[in-house]
Amino acid sequence: MAENKLSDWAVLTAGWIKQNPTFVQVLGMCPVLAVSTSAENALGMGLATLGVLAISNLFISFVRNIIPNEIRIPVYISIIAAFVTMVNLLMHGYTYSLWVSLGIYIPLIVVNCIPLGRAEAFASKHGPWQSFLDGLGMGIGFLGAIMLIGITRELFDAGTIFGYRIWPEAYNVFVVALPPGAFLVIGLYMGLFRYIGKIRSEKKPQGSENK
Amino acid sequence: MSNHIKVALILTVVMVIIGIGLAGIYLMTYAPIAKADLNADLEAIKFVLTDQTTGQLLVSQSQIPQTMAELNAKIWKSDSSGVLYSNPKLPGYVLSPAYLFKGKDGSNIYVLTGYGIGFGGRVVTVASFIQQKDGSFLENSIDVIDYSNETPGLGAKINDPDVRSRFFDIPNSGLKDGVKVNKDAGLFPLPANYLSKINQYKAEGIVVTSDVMTGATITPRSVANTLNAMYEFLEKEVK
Repeated sequence: MAENKLSDWAVLTAGWIKQNPTFVQVLGMCPVLAVSTSAENALGMGLATLGVLAISNLFISFVRNIIPNEIRIPVYISIIAAFVTMVNLLMHGYTYSLWVSLGIYIPLIVVNCIPLGRAEAFASKHGPWQSFLDGLGMGIGFLGAIMLIGITRELFDAGTIFGYRIWPEAYNVFVVALPPGAFLVIGLYMGLFRYIGKIRSEKKPQGSENK
Repeated sequence: MSNHIKVALILTVVMVIIGIGLAGIYLMTYAPIAKADLNADLEAIKFVLTDQTTGQLLVSQSQIPQTMAELNAKIWKSDSSGVLYSNPKLPGYVLSPAYLFKGKDGSNIYVLTGYGIGFGGRVVTVASFIQQKDGSFLENSIDVIDYSNETPGLGAKINDPDVRSRFFDIPNSGLKDGVKVNKDAGLFPLPANYLSKINQYKAEGIVVTSDVMTGATITPRSVANTLNAMYEFLEKEVK
């Protein structure tokens, strides 16, 4: 069977909106809910996940043909865990306050569904370059989503974005900082993404979805 | 059988490569991590040696340690076990070493590091205690240096300035009664005029946190337990 070759651009952009890991695939929700209380935390978590995704996808693709099928999952997890540990050490050494703020959620990237999901669904079946692009694209999608949620929650909880005051404290909606607030914000964005997707599919000429 | 050996060999090779990579990153980050941890400790010590009302240092500038050697020169008590005092009932622990500084007015200022158990594990606090002329203690201020296992947005707010400040300036009467968060002291919900009574509550050992840390009682309770263990340690060792 001939391989359905995807363009590099299509691979890179798939995770941005159409297959966004947070709003469409609903993966890795635990750190999204926990860490997105401020834009700074969301940026740190998003960049850490992006780095791990892109590099682990690249390495998993390199070794995909020499790893026997029965041990592929332990090998993928080990590779992902190694890169997460590296990111954790680098953040501890070079971005101490962010490392303290993100706490346990940096090591927990190991068990985040997104890196293992992309390793199994994409990197194990495609070449290193496209696997790297897939990790990068999914990472950008995750970063964008968690940033959007982080900015919204910080704005409504503290009236600030990245610490810069936007409106007075009197207008703060504190519940947004709590876990129920995270569910509300994510739910609203998911609804928005679905609505945008619906509008776009309605605008497409008939039959174009099969192309 | 040969397949099993092949799989084992491949796994071994992968793990060895991963191990070498991790060792390389560890060696590369060892010094920056040690420096970051030391800087965090030094900043915390400087912070707790500051009068939080006036912003002035309680000790002369020359006493503020800048290096590990200068910090070691201020050690008052240490223990090779790493723990100077423990009260498992609280639970609260005082870690080694404890530091002693001389205040500008000649008073002894004890800087202790300790921990209590928060939602996700240890919550490590540095606190300073000023010995008054009558021998009693005033807890000056705290800095929470490790809350990395607390939930972001909830317990991890423990080191926010407005939360941390609630643990400043607790007089001896409050320390003697035992420091407790307002929920544990039965002061919940808070009365309308509670802000004007914050210092009165501190004199009774009550630290009001429920208004600035909604939804997270365990983390501030762990800091209160740490302060109680520190006070018990000072009572035992100084008097």
